[in-house]
Amino acid sequence: MKQLGLLVLLCLTALSFAPTSTLAAQEIKPFVRGSYQQIISARQGKPFIISFWSLSCGHCMDEMAMLKKLAKKYSKLDLVLVSTDTPEEKKAVTAALARSSPRKTETWLFADSYTDPLYFEIDTKWHGELPRTYFFNAKNEVTAISGKLEYEEVERWVREQYTPR
Amino acid sequence: MKNSIFTLFLAATLTACPALAADHSGHGKPGAETSTAPPIDREKLWKESLAKPSFAVTASFDENGKLWLAAIRGQHVFVSYSTDHGVTRSAPVKVNTEPENILGDGENRPKIIVRKGVVYVSYTQGLAKPMTGHIRFSRSLDGGKTFSQPITVNDNLEIISHRFDAMGVNDRGQVFVAWLDKRDLSVAAKKGEKYAGLGLYYAVSDDKGKSFKANIKAADHACECCRVAMAIDTDGYPVIVWRHVFDTNIRDHALLKLDGKMAPVRLSYENWNVAGCPHHGPSLSIASDGIYHAAWFSNAPQQRGLFYGHSTDWGGTFSSPMNFGNIEAQPSRPSVFSLGSRVFLVWKEFDGERTGIIGMHSGDAGKSWSAPGKLATTSDVSDWPFLIGKNNRAYLSWNTKNEGYRLIEIGEEKK
Repeated sequence: MKQLGLLVLLCLTALSFAPTSTLAAQEIKPFVRGSYQQIISARQGKPFIISFWSLSCGHCMDEMAMLKKLAKKYSKLDLVLVSTDTPEEKKAVTAALARSSPRKTETWLFADSYTDPLYFEIDTKWHGELPRTYFFNAKNEVTAISGKLEYEEVERWVREQYTPR
Repeated sequence: MKNSIFTLFLAATLTACPALAADHSGHGKPGAETSTAPPIDREKLWKESLAKPSFAVTASFDENGKLWLAAIRGQHVFVSYSTDHGVTRSAPVKVNTEPENILGDGENRPKIIVRKGVVYVSYTQGLAKPMTGHIRFSRSLDGGKTFSQPITVNDNLEIISHRFDAMGVNDRGQVFVAWLDKRDLSVAAKKGEKYAGLGLYYAVSDDKGKSFKANIKAADHACECCRVAMAIDTDGYPVIVWRHVFDTNIRDHALLKLDGKMAPVRLSYENWNVAGCPHHGPSLSIASDGIYHAAWFSNAPQQRGLFYGHSTDWGGTFSSPMNFGNIEAQPSRPSVFSLGSRVFLVWKEFDGERTGIIGMHSGDAGKSWSAPGKLATTSDVSDWPFLIGKNNRAYLSWNTKNEGYRLIEIGEEKK
């Protein structure tokens, strides 16, 4: 996550085009260079989860079903789903999201076929294994976890983050 | 906060993974889907998504130093050859005359081996459902002018995953094809039982690929979506290395010689506990002196990145793994290759600006290594890098969107 600082300029540029509402109607946004920082910058001081998934990942569909269940229970949960599939697969991605994702979720799809810079911007410690989930707390501290997560554990995190202290 | 996430991580990694036995053929878990969504022709969408372009080019040299290439264009595997290191190529010849969905993204690619005048090709045919496929095989007996009607090698024909083929040919004209196979998972799912990962199967041809004998199970519980590596040992039997599911979800590597005698052994111990899809398989080369050289990837929190190890006792034990590559540059896709006691490694890195292929070599069977050096770069999409050899020289074989296919000799400066 160290490289995030280097991207400040990029994000400032990106921010000027960022939508004001982070919970807009489900429309898949093109994920390009700068998008990751755009997602984060739009949520300064708020807890949120970014989950990366793909059509080619069975564990991801299980995780999405779990997140859907969780989002149903916790309407405050700010969840961002990013598909690492290709623009050619947009219809299939849309269908999978319509079927399995929570209703009010911000969704993105990798829109640059040159994915090496995208992964690098997101996290140099990530090598593309899926699912990959990033938990941001209100202080913007982040924890990354590879692999499918269990409902109870994510629920514990959600309760901690969204309960006023 | 840190404590809670640590607990979360621990719990996530220690929890059993019931999902492993569930949705891997795209069926979904009961109750996971909403009934309100409009009906969607998933198979049509899936077929459309298979049309994405493939940059996979697989190359190998025959005994005479001719370079043979297999690539995907549209719904066909095409084979061509080059006598000038890939600069000019013969007119590509279709392997499958009937159109098929050929898998050529990520860890999937056609394989090509040419021995004693026979061109052997294997590939994975994508089927109507996500994450499903059949293992296909074809050969040419006339120097690549025409290819036999492809046959399906897997003898279980359910619409499930039989994918990630690996192929080897020995001097006796035996052909070995190994792949990842969900037939046991399918049986378990029907009984409502759990089955971690999937099966690893192989088939042998004793007649230069004219026919294959019945499929044989090599191992239960392989990881679902990482390529299988295969190399022919000095006695002509193939050795395979793959990512395995140990215990509940430890996804480290295992090795097995397909001689019908050996039982699988564990090769690596990074203890990567992940209920996920790394899409990142190993590489294996067996030297003429019988030493096994393996390279692999792990993202275990304490042991991250690329690793190399060698075995002087036919895979029984491996040297202490050497961690290589610049961990800040996302090192990936290792390929290992040996020429006698000379061993070569190449892999991918991204330095923040460009994608590069980095290489290093050893002159003493992998005991000591040169400094890493950049062999080639690109600034757009690229295929995985591979090492091949002829006339006692090693070459990097790499396809990129911008530069096209490149074959680059690996220099070995004296230390």
